[in-house]
Amino acid sequence: MARMPREQWYDIARDLDWELSYVDHEAVFPEWHSGQGKIPREAWARWDESYKISYPEYVATQREKEAGAYSVKAALQKSKVFDQLDEGWKSVAKEHFGATAAIEDMAVYAELRMARFGLSPAWRNMAMFGALDETRHAQIGLQFAHELVGKDPQYDWANKAYQTNEWGIIAARATFDGMMMTPNVVDTAVQLPFTFETGFSNVQFVALAADALESGDINFANMISSIQTDEARHAQQGGPTLEILMEHDPRRAQWIVDKTFWTSARLFAILTGPGMDYYTPVEMRKQSYKEFMQEWIAEQFLDQIRDYGLKRPWYWDEFIAGLDTWHHSLHLGVWYWRPTVWWKPQGGVSPEEREWLNEKYPNWEKQFGWMWDVIIENINSGRMEQTLPETLPWLCSLCHLPVGTAASPNNDKYPVRSYPLKHNGHTYHFCSRTCRQIWWEDKDTLHDPTVIERLLAGEIQPPTVEGILAWMGLTPDVMGDDAYGYRWAKAYVPAAAAAS
Amino acid sequence: MTDVMPERPARRLKTWSSLGKLRRLPSEYEIVTHGMNYTTRTGRFAALESNPTTPTNMWFLTYRDHSPLRAEDWSGFRDPDELTYRKYVTIQDEQETVVEGILDEYGPLAHDQSLEPEWIEFLSTVFTPTRFPAHALQMSTAYMAQMAPSSYITNCALFAGADLLRRVSLVAYRTRQLNDATSGVAGIGVREREVWQAHEAWQPARQMLEYLLVAYDWGECFTAMNLVVRPSLDSVLLTQAAELAHAGHDELTWLLLSNLAADWARVERWSTGLARHAIEQRGENREVMLHWIDRWAPRADAAVSSLAGLLAAVPGGPDQGEVVANAVAARDRVIAAAGITG
Repeated sequence: MARMPREQWYDIARDLDWELSYVDHEAVFPEWHSGQGKIPREAWARWDESYKISYPEYVATQREKEAGAYSVKAALQKSKVFDQLDEGWKSVAKEHFGATAAIEDMAVYAELRMARFGLSPAWRNMAMFGALDETRHAQIGLQFAHELVGKDPQYDWANKAYQTNEWGIIAARATFDGMMMTPNVVDTAVQLPFTFETGFSNVQFVALAADALESGDINFANMISSIQTDEARHAQQGGPTLEILMEHDPRRAQWIVDKTFWTSARLFAILTGPGMDYYTPVEMRKQSYKEFMQEWIAEQFLDQIRDYGLKRPWYWDEFIAGLDTWHHSLHLGVWYWRPTVWWKPQGGVSPEEREWLNEKYPNWEKQFGWMWDVIIENINSGRMEQTLPETLPWLCSLCHLPVGTAASPNNDKYPVRSYPLKHNGHTYHFCSRTCRQIWWEDKDTLHDPTVIERLLAGEIQPPTVEGILAWMGLTPDVMGDDAYGYRWAKAYVPAAAAAS
Repeated sequence: MTDVMPERPARRLKTWSSLGKLRRLPSEYEIVTHGMNYTTRTGRFAALESNPTTPTNMWFLTYRDHSPLRAEDWSGFRDPDELTYRKYVTIQDEQETVVEGILDEYGPLAHDQSLEPEWIEFLSTVFTPTRFPAHALQMSTAYMAQMAPSSYITNCALFAGADLLRRVSLVAYRTRQLNDATSGVAGIGVREREVWQAHEAWQPARQMLEYLLVAYDWGECFTAMNLVVRPSLDSVLLTQAAELAHAGHDELTWLLLSNLAADWARVERWSTGLARHAIEQRGENREVMLHWIDRWAPRADAAVSSLAGLLAAVPGGPDQGEVVANAVAARDRVIAAAGITG
C-alpha cells in the first residue's frame, strides 16, 4: 500500500498559525526582520507555493540525486580528465568555486531567516526545504573542489575566499549581504529567489553546465546540473511573496526588483562575463556573454516582471549598452590586476580569439583592442613589469568594482569617469549614475568603505602592494597569473623578428 | 606588485588551509562543514558588508557576538553524528521508509476504527494538536541555526529544524487519517487550533513556546530549547505518550512516536556535546547555562505538569506525578550529560 496522496493532507501541514497570547506579534515578527510594511497581516494567508513537496518526497528525491551526483564523481576519480582540461576553463571553475560555495552557504542563512520570520507558515516550511537545498549546494561544491586542492592550491579558495578581504569578494559580499541578510525577509524573497535565482543563477547554471560539458569537464557539468534541478523549487518562494507585495505596495516591489537586478548584473559581469568570452576556449564557446544575457537574462526577466505588473527598470538602456562594455572592461582589469585574484585569467586575445570578439562585439577593437595592443607589445618586448600594476584602481562605493568598468574608452555615452557624490562632507565615487542613485536611496544601509577608502584610512598595514595582497589573503602560490603563460601574445611577433 | 610575481613557491595542500595542520585526513563531514559562516570571520568590522549600525549587524552583535555564552573557538565543536546533507537525506529517507512500512502494516481505517472513543479523545487533545508546538520549535530551531557562531553548530540545528518539519508532516498525515476514520465526529482535523489556543492543559506549554520565540540571544535559545524545553516536553509528548499508546494497544501511535523520538535523541547527542564544548572552552559558560536553566525549568515544569493531567486522565493511564517526575528526570539526564550538573 502506498501513502495517501499528498493533496489529502498537505494543507494541514501548512495550516500552522495561531493567535499569539503571551507575547506581542511584533515581538515575534519584528518589522525590520519580517517586513510587513503596508501589507495587512491577513494577506499572508494567500501565500501559496506552486511547486509542492512533502518531507518524505523531499528526502527520497534528494537522496537519489545525491547518489547520482556522487557516483559520477566516483567513476571519474581515477580518470585523467582533469589533467587534460584547458587552463582557461579551469579558471572558470576556480572562480566559480571560490565565488559561490560560501554564498550558497550564506543562502542557507537567508532561507533560515525566512523559515523563522516569514509571515506565512507555508512559506516558512518552503524555506526550510530551501535551507536544506542550499546546504546541499554548498556541500557538493566544497566536496568537488576539495578533490582538486592537492593538484592546485587555488582550489583552496572554495573554502577560503569569503573569509578574506580580496577585493572581488568584498564586492560579492556587499551585493549578497545586501540581497540576503540585511533586508527584511519580504525584500529578501523578492531579491534572492525572485530576482537573483530565477533571473540570474538558475539560467547561468544551465549555460555553465553546457560550457563545462563542451570543455570536457564532465565532473563539473554533472555537479552544476544536479544543483540546478533544486533551484526551481526554492526559487519559487519569490513569486507568491511578490504577488502579495504588488497588491499592497507596488512601489516598494518595483524598487527592490530594480536595484537587485542592477547590482546582480554588475556582479555577473565579472563572475560570468570573462569566463564566457575570454577563459573558455574559443572553439567551445556556444554563445557570447552578450548573446546569453540578451536571450536568457534580459528577455526572460522582462517577461517575468511584466507578468507581475512591474515596469521596465529606469536604467534599462544603460544596462543593455553595458553588455558591450562592462565585462570587457572588467576582464581587462582582472587580467591586469591578476595577482589579486585566486585564479589564472586567460588573456583571450590571440588573433583567432580577437576575430571572434570583433565578430560578436563590432566596437571591441575601437574600445579595447588598442589597450591590448599595448599589453601585447610589452609582453613581446619583455617589459613584463609594465603589464603589472603598481597601484589600485578607485572603486565604486556601491558595487565595489573598479570605477570605469561600467564604461569603456572611446565611448561617448558611457565614458570612463567617476560619478561623484558629496554627502556629509565626504566625496563618494561611483562607476555609474545608477549605482550612485541606489546608494543615495539606501545610504544608511549600504555605507561600507571600499578597499581604497580602507587603505587611505590606514586600515591596511603596511600600505604597500605586498601589504595589500597580504591583507587580501593572497599567498604567492595562489596569486593569479596568465593562464597560458603569455604564449598567446607570441602570434603578434612580426615574422621577421620571430625568425631572428 | 611586479616584485611579487616571480615568487611562486610550490605548495602541496592535503586539505583546506583553514583546517590548519591536521595530523590526519579530514572527514567528508569536516570538508563540507568547516569555516563556512563568513559573518564570523576574523578582523571584520561587522558581521555583514554593510553599515555596522544596520539592524541586522546590530542584531548579530547583540544576540550572537555579545551573548553571555562565549568561546574562543566554536569551530572546534563537532557533531557526534557527523551529519552532512548527503547523510541526512539518506538516513531520513530510510526512516520515512520505516514509517511507510508502519503505516502500511496498520491499515489506516481498520486500525483507527478499532480505537476506543476515550483514546480518540486523547489523540485529538494530546497528539494531533502537536503540529502547532512542533512548528513553534521548528521556527526557534531555524532561528538558532541562523544565529549560531559556527557552521558546525548551524548545520546541526538546520537538520534538527528539518526533523521538526518531518514531525509536523507526519502529525498532519495522521490527523487526516484519523479524521477519515472517525468521520470527523471526534473533532480530529478540525479542533486542533482551538485545543492549542484554548485548552487549559496546553496553555503553560504554549506560553513557554511563545516565550521561546522571543528568546533572541542565541545561547539562551539553545540552552532553553535543547536542554530544558525539548527534553521536558518531548518526554511527555513523545516518550510517555508512546508508552501510553503501547499499553492501550494503539501500536501505530506507539511506533510512530518512537520513530520521531529517534530524531530528538540525535539532537540530544549534539546538544549535550555542544554544551560540554562550551564549558571546556570557558568554565564560566557552565554558570551562564545554569542561569538560563533556572529561568526556563519552572516554565517547563508548569507545561509538563499541566499536560501530565491529560495522560493521567486516560483510563489505565499513569499517575500525574509520575509523568512529571519522568519528564524532570529526562531533563536532568540531559543537563547532567551536558556537564552542567552532577
